Amino acid sequence: MNPLSSIAYRLNVDLIGRAVLRLERLRGERALRRHGDRPGPLSPPLACSPRLKELISRHYLRGRYASGHRPVAWVTSGGPIEHLQALGYFLIYPENHGAVCGIRRLAQDLCQAAEEAGFSRDICSYARTDIGSVLSGKTPVGRLPRPDLLVCCTNICQTVLYWYQVLAHHFRVPLVLIDTPFLYRPAQPHAVAYVRRQIEEAIPVMERVARRTLAPARLERVLVESKEAVELWMRVLERGKARPSPILAFDEFIHMAPIVEMRGEEDTTAYYRVLLAELDRRVAAGVGALRQEQRRLIWDNLPIWYRVRPLSEHLASRGVALVASSYTNAWGELAPLMDPRQPLDSLARVYLHPILNRSTGDKLRTLAQMVREYQAHGVLLHSDRSCKPYSVGQMDQRERLGRELSVPALLLEADHNDPRSFSEEPAAARLDAFLEMVLS
Amino acid sequence: MNPSSARALGIDIGSTTTKLCAVDGHGRRVWHAIEATEPRIQDQVRRLLQRARGDGVPAGLDLLATGYGRKLVPEARAALTEIGCHARGVHRELGHGGTLIDIGGQDTKVIAVGDEGKVQNFAMNDKCAAGTGRFLEVTAARLQVPLDEMARLALAAPEEVSISSTCTVFAESEIVSLIARGAEVAAIVRGLLRALARRVGALARSAGVRPPLLLSGGVARNEAVRRLLSEELALPATLPAEPQLMGAYGAALAALELQSQPPAGQSGGSPS
Amino acid sequence: MNSTIVIPSRRTAIEKRKAAGGKIAAVFPIHYPRALFWAHGLLPVEVWGPPGAERAPAGSHLQAYTCDIVHAGLGFLLSGGLAAADAIVAPHGCDSLQGLGSILLDFIPPAQPVFPFYLPRAAREADIDYFAREIESLSRQLSSVSGRTPSRDELHKAITEDEAADGELERLWERRAELPLDNQTLYALSRARGYLAPQEFCGLARQAQAVAAPAASAKTVVISGVIAEPAAMLSLLDRAGIRVGADDTLCLGRRFYPAGRSDDPYRRMAERILSAPPDSTRGSAIGERGERLLSLCRRAGARGVIFRLVKFCEPEQFYLPALRRALDEANILNLVLETDLAAGLDGPSQTRLEAFLEML
Repeated sequence: MNPLSSIAYRLNVDLIGRAVLRLERLRGERALRRHGDRPGPLSPPLACSPRLKELISRHYLRGRYASGHRPVAWVTSGGPIEHLQALGYFLIYPENHGAVCGIRRLAQDLCQAAEEAGFSRDICSYARTDIGSVLSGKTPVGRLPRPDLLVCCTNICQTVLYWYQVLAHHFRVPLVLIDTPFLYRPAQPHAVAYVRRQIEEAIPVMERVARRTLAPARLERVLVESKEAVELWMRVLERGKARPSPILAFDEFIHMAPIVEMRGEEDTTAYYRVLLAELDRRVAAGVGALRQEQRRLIWDNLPIWYRVRPLSEHLASRGVALVASSYTNAWGELAPLMDPRQPLDSLARVYLHPILNRSTGDKLRTLAQMVREYQAHGVLLHSDRSCKPYSVGQMDQRERLGRELSVPALLLEADHNDPRSFSEEPAAARLDAFLEMVLS
Repeated sequence: MNPSSARALGIDIGSTTTKLCAVDGHGRRVWHAIEATEPRIQDQVRRLLQRARGDGVPAGLDLLATGYGRKLVPEARAALTEIGCHARGVHRELGHGGTLIDIGGQDTKVIAVGDEGKVQNFAMNDKCAAGTGRFLEVTAARLQVPLDEMARLALAAPEEVSISSTCTVFAESEIVSLIARGAEVAAIVRGLLRALARRVGALARSAGVRPPLLLSGGVARNEAVRRLLSEELALPATLPAEPQLMGAYGAALAALELQSQPPAGQSGGSPS
Repeated sequence: MNSTIVIPSRRTAIEKRKAAGGKIAAVFPIHYPRALFWAHGLLPVEVWGPPGAERAPAGSHLQAYTCDIVHAGLGFLLSGGLAAADAIVAPHGCDSLQGLGSILLDFIPPAQPVFPFYLPRAAREADIDYFAREIESLSRQLSSVSGRTPSRDELHKAITEDEAADGELERLWERRAELPLDNQTLYALSRARGYLAPQEFCGLARQAQAVAAPAASAKTVVISGVIAEPAAMLSLLDRAGIRVGADDTLCLGRRFYPAGRSDDPYRRMAERILSAPPDSTRGSAIGERGERLLSLCRRAGARGVIFRLVKFCEPEQFYLPALRRALDEANILNLVLETDLAAGLDGPSQTRLEAFLEML
């Protein structure tokens, strides 16, 4: 690593950055105390929101100065990262970065940049956002550090396989593949052994690129931290079972960033403790995220990133609370499988079992279970044009939820990041018709 | 222009209009006719040829057909796609290569023409109404604005409303919502034409744009579209002398070229 | 031009099998170990979205943004097209095929048993080991339909025959320029590999090669993409005197499986598939696909490449920009034809194809 880069990092991130971001947090907290109580159907925002902002800003600030100071890996959202964390890698999640672009309404431009380079509009909008960002150099987070290593795990989809080959071709850096067999049925021993072996064989590559040796003690600490964060996150989500729910899935979409991209770091675990404590206080006081919670819904699939707030307000104005989602649940439900004393075996199982790597029948069972546990009145199925593994099967899931479980479900056609695949009026009309049905 | 000096004919059978063009031995246009395309194409072709003869064009000239109805002309010696024919027409018109953008009622074509008059690359949008005249028809109807008023309105509009929809059907919804919110019709029209220009621009870039830029097709007559497209591609856009005749003209030139070659030996010996 | 090879149709092969009391496995795309089925005494018949298949019934299970191969395949099944099959096999190929397999198992389900299996996306030792075990697992499941457990010898025999047939198929294409076969016939023969017994296929392939003549020159193209259909596209090329000199499609050229090395039959079957030519659905490196395509063009003396894609095919779309750039740099023209697998070629597609041929 480069000594000048390290100095710049320490100065800008650890000294100056830390102080500046802390000040911003304090300012944000003060503003919330003063003006947070807004009129309307939504309760005041969570008091810990400025802390979340600080955490994420610090992460991207690190990214800005990481090159030359820390090895950088770009990883898929479902990938095994514990070894990378233990080796001191700075991690970038192109999908998370894509979501930030989506939220900030920058994704369309970036998608168009990718399309001008010849990529079809029919490929995943996260991939187009990322490729567009890489090709144009544009990003809302300051600066994305170039990867020294790419880590691709197919447990969320096969699209990442092709996407990361494009990145590998562009950046000319090693690509580590952790291929996780899709679970049409429960996992067989040879599938678990396969994933275990791939993770194990990836370690020398990660070490070589980082020019460091993995310290088992450090790995165990990361795993302990990771497991605790995931357990905390699960408890955060489970607070949604309270009536009224102290938190909405819309908030969870934002508060999930650390569990995805900073899992295994102490700050992340600390953050979720704070969030959980605030939710517990709300539950004890009977405070809901909606002032008047009349109905409760579950969300399936990725969020519609460029419409999170408008949708939240739209539902809130009708007293409808989105109390859980299969998407945020994905980063919590596997906590029991994690065992810091059996790193390779337990990680192999954990990374084999995310919801997106399980059958369409299993997703139906998961949704049904969530409806029961969260006492929901219906399900919103976001039919995401960009996410076939999540979307294919929804038509049958919707039909069966209705027919077998008498749970109304709406198929909402959109795209998680490309606003051109979403039309406000027809979507609102459909949603309202569904809400009328649910509210009656 | 002396019709009797004609040495070859080209016919372009489009979905809206059919064009017949005659050229002399030097490839200069000496006669042409444009009609709305009739359902019975073969009858229309026969009648057009009679009309040509009536105006003094010699009988028995080689005829080459292009356009979507190109395979339905028994009198034609050969058929070529409108891509190839337009390229010849444009090259002859300019004297060198360039890019032709043809924005039709139902489809849009971009043809990158090399300096020898060959097609270097092309791109077509024929599946999606956005980026074609159809987009304007549908949105004009939704706005209750006469189609031929759109250019004037757009050019005079002091403001422009950004249309985010890239799909014609979505755009219609968006218009309804914009009007309900009190947006000015002229500003909406300008936004719609901008959206069209963007779409066409993207198509053009996918084929590779080389100056000069030439426009043809029904929509090219819309001055506002020309200007916005020109802005989009950062190039001046010009209309050829007879924009509607590019295809038929190119077909006639191709027919003339065939005359200097021996007649086709094997079946289907035409270029395509 | 055409030689007088009689290629039995898929339907004939199926009827013959049924009449002899044999069983049939319908296999969805893409990669699968053919030899395993023959060892079980099952006729594997591939389902690549039959052109005439009714898609409408699939519309209540699949959103519009899934590809035509999957729509047509499911539609065909739901309208009774696979009634003659005793088993349905769903290899993992991409996200849409994954969804198809899962829906078949969990939500349809058809009258026949459904056997999905996973394909690893690299060719490391770990992948070969895993795939060997996965094929073995598939074999155990097939036993419930075939009623037998093939011995090692039976597996080896089937593999040897399968390797011979794949060898003949590859040779046909290596000698393409010398074969007086039009494109339609060559493809019909090549596709027959997907439903004829290996020995029968070998016989036909040798027959075709027997009439080889010194290579005549012709304008040549390479077809890449998903599948060289519809037939109307091939007949258009034939009428224009254009020769398809090589194939880089998922359906054909990317399934030229080389001979394996291992003595263990399951490992051998795994090795073969994992060392097939570079393929987007198997996550090959972009550079490798580019090299393969250029090499095919050079060997065939091709002036152009037709990328025959199907809308919503992500694996193909991610690789396309880099492949087109590589072709541009090598001065090889290319055309992208993205259309459904309808029986004919629609007007605009025909125009595109003809305009492209005019450019050659």
